[in-house]
Amino acid sequence: MPVEQLSRVRKSILPQVGDDWSHIASRELPDLSEKDAIASLQSWNLHVYMRAAARMGTGSNNILPSDVIFVEPPLAHG
Amino acid sequence: MYDLVIRNGKVVDGSGLPAFKADVAVMGNRIVKIGQVPEAAREEINAEGKIVAPGFIDPHTHFDAQLLWDGCAKPALAHGVTTIVPGNCSLSLAPLKAKHRMKLVGMFNQIEEMPLKAFKEGVVWDWETFSEYITRIRKGLAINVAPLVGHSVIRLWVMNEAATERTATDAEIAEMQSVLRECLDAGAAGLSTSYVDMDEKLLPVPSRYADAREVEALASVLGEYGRVLQIVPEFYDSDLTIARLDQLAELSLKYNIPTTFSPLFMNADNVDAVNRVMARVDEQFARGARVWPQVQTRPIDISFSFSVPSLLFMRFPTWYKIMRFGTPDEISAFFSDSENRVKLIAEAAPLQGLWPTLVLRHVETDANQKYVGKTLKEIAELRNTTPVEAMMDLSVEEGLEAHFLSAGMGHNDDAKVAGLLNHPRVHIGASDGGAHILSFSTYGDTGYLFSHFVRDLNLMTVESAVKKITSDTAAIWGIPERGMLKEGMIADIAVFDPSTIARGEEKFVNDVPGDGHRYVRDSHGVDTVIVGGGIAWSEAKGYQDARGEVLPGVREMVAA
Repeated sequence: MPVEQLSRVRKSILPQVGDDWSHIASRELPDLSEKDAIASLQSWNLHVYMRAAARMGTGSNNILPSDVIFVEPPLAHG
Repeated sequence: MYDLVIRNGKVVDGSGLPAFKADVAVMGNRIVKIGQVPEAAREEINAEGKIVAPGFIDPHTHFDAQLLWDGCAKPALAHGVTTIVPGNCSLSLAPLKAKHRMKLVGMFNQIEEMPLKAFKEGVVWDWETFSEYITRIRKGLAINVAPLVGHSVIRLWVMNEAATERTATDAEIAEMQSVLRECLDAGAAGLSTSYVDMDEKLLPVPSRYADAREVEALASVLGEYGRVLQIVPEFYDSDLTIARLDQLAELSLKYNIPTTFSPLFMNADNVDAVNRVMARVDEQFARGARVWPQVQTRPIDISFSFSVPSLLFMRFPTWYKIMRFGTPDEISAFFSDSENRVKLIAEAAPLQGLWPTLVLRHVETDANQKYVGKTLKEIAELRNTTPVEAMMDLSVEEGLEAHFLSAGMGHNDDAKVAGLLNHPRVHIGASDGGAHILSFSTYGDTGYLFSHFVRDLNLMTVESAVKKITSDTAAIWGIPERGMLKEGMIADIAVFDPSTIARGEEKFVNDVPGDGHRYVRDSHGVDTVIVGGGIAWSEAKGYQDARGEVLPGVREMVAA
C-alpha cells in the first residue's frame, strides 16, 4: 500500500531543532495570527502544554525534542 | 541412547498446526527426533495427558536487576518461560558508568517501582560496558536472555548530565551509534526507548530529549543488524499512539527493522480508540512495515501501600508527591494532619467510585487483621468514617504497611481482549516481569492465557495460543533456532497439563534482597521446563540445571 493510500489521521509533526510554539505556529499555521496560532496549538497539545504547570521541558520552552505536536484539532470519528 | 526423551505427550509444536501424539528426543541441547522413539534415554519424562510445547518467550520484562542475584528469573521459569527480553522502556543496566549508577537506580525505582534497597543490597556493581554486564549475568543463568539496550542509558553514557537537558550534537549522535554497535555486537537484541516515562525527579527520562534525527540515526544502526526497536508510546491517547506507530512504520520501512510498542489496553471506554489503532497497524503492515503492538493477557489489578510510590496515584499530585519524596514518618504525619486530609480527600474525589471498592489485603498488626479481605466501604462503615479516610488511617496505624488491592481496573472485557490476542498482528507480551513488584504479580500471564482464554472461555485454541508466545515471538525478535519443536532446533520445551495449567493466587513473599517483598504467583499445571536440553525446573524437583544463554538477536524476522 503506497503511503498516499493510508487513511487520514490527525496531522502531526515532530519538532525541528530550536522549535518553540512560535516557530511551529508560523511554519504550520501561517494563515492565522501568531497569537491565535499559538493558542490553537496549545489547546490541541495539552499533553505538552500542561507541562508548563509542572515546569517540565527545556528551559522556558516546554516542548521536548521528541514530542508529537498536533497541528490540527482531533478528527471526528463516526 | 538419548540424553532425554519426553514420551506419550501431545506435541503442540509452535506452528499453529493441530497437536499430535509423539515422543520428543533430545541429545545435548538439541531436539533430535519427534515421533516414535523406542530407544532408551538417560532421563525420561512421561507426558501422558500433557502438552509438549516450545518454551514460552516473554518479550517485555525488566529482569535486568533480578538476573544479578537470580539466574532463573523466578518464578518466570516455573511458568514455562524459557526466554525473557529485559531492557525495555529505554532502561537497561548497561552500558553504565560508575558515576551514573544511582541515577539509573532512581529511574528504575520511579518507573518500574523496584525497591532502592534491593539495588543497594543485592547488586555488586562490577560492570560498566554492555559486554561486561552480559559476562556478569551469564554466571548461573538458567533462563535464556535476549536483552535490549536502553536509549536513555546510551544517552547518559555519551552526554552525561546533558542527556536530560538538550538535543545531541552530530558528534554525540555518532558516538551513540558507536556505543549501540558495541552493545549489539555484545548480544543486545535491539534498542528500547520511551516517550512517556519520568525519572526519579519526575522529569522526562533522557530518551525524551532525543529529536527525530537521533532516533533515526540509532534506527539506522539497528538496520545494520536487523534488530528490534521497542518503544513506549503515549498509550493514554490513541491519536498520539497512532502518530508514534506511523513514526515506527517509517523507520521499519526505511531500515528494514521490526518494531514493537506497548502497552495497548482494551478498556470499556476505549474500544473505538483501540480499533482505530489496530486499523492503522493493519494499514502499516499492508505497506510492509513491522509495527507490532504488544498486548498483555491479564486484566489490570493494582496493589499498593503508601510505603512505596504507586502509579495508581500519579494523577493526584499531592498524594504522589508525598509518596514519592516523603519518608515513612513524614507520610504518616502528612496523613494525620487535618488540613492535609481535606486537600487529599478533595484531590481523590474524581475516583470516588473506586475507593470504596478497594480491598484491604495485608496488615502487620493483630488489631487490624479483622479488616483483611474487606472493602474500604465495609471498613469505613465499621469505623464510622469514609473509605479514603479509612485508607489513610489504616496506613498510619500500620506504619504504611497496609496493602490495598484495586482489582479489575481494566483490560477485562474477555471477548474484546481475546479478539486482540487472536489478531494476527498482535504480539502477546507486556508482562513487565521483574518490575512493579509491589503493585502486581507480573508472573503467570501465560498460565492465565491457557486457563482463561483457551480452557475456560474457549476463545483461543491451544495451538494458536502456543504459537503466539513461541514461534511468533521468536520470529518477530529474530531469535534463531528457538520457538518451535522441530528436529535440529534448540531444546527449549515446556510440558504442561492443559486441564490444570493456571496462574496461582497472587501472594506476598519476602525474597527480594534487602529484606524486600514482592507479589508473585506460583505456576499450576506446569510439569517440566527444559532449557537448552537440560531440565531447568520441574514440579517434582524445583529448579535444577542452569543452561540459559544470552541469545544473539542476529536473524531477520522470517514470518509475520
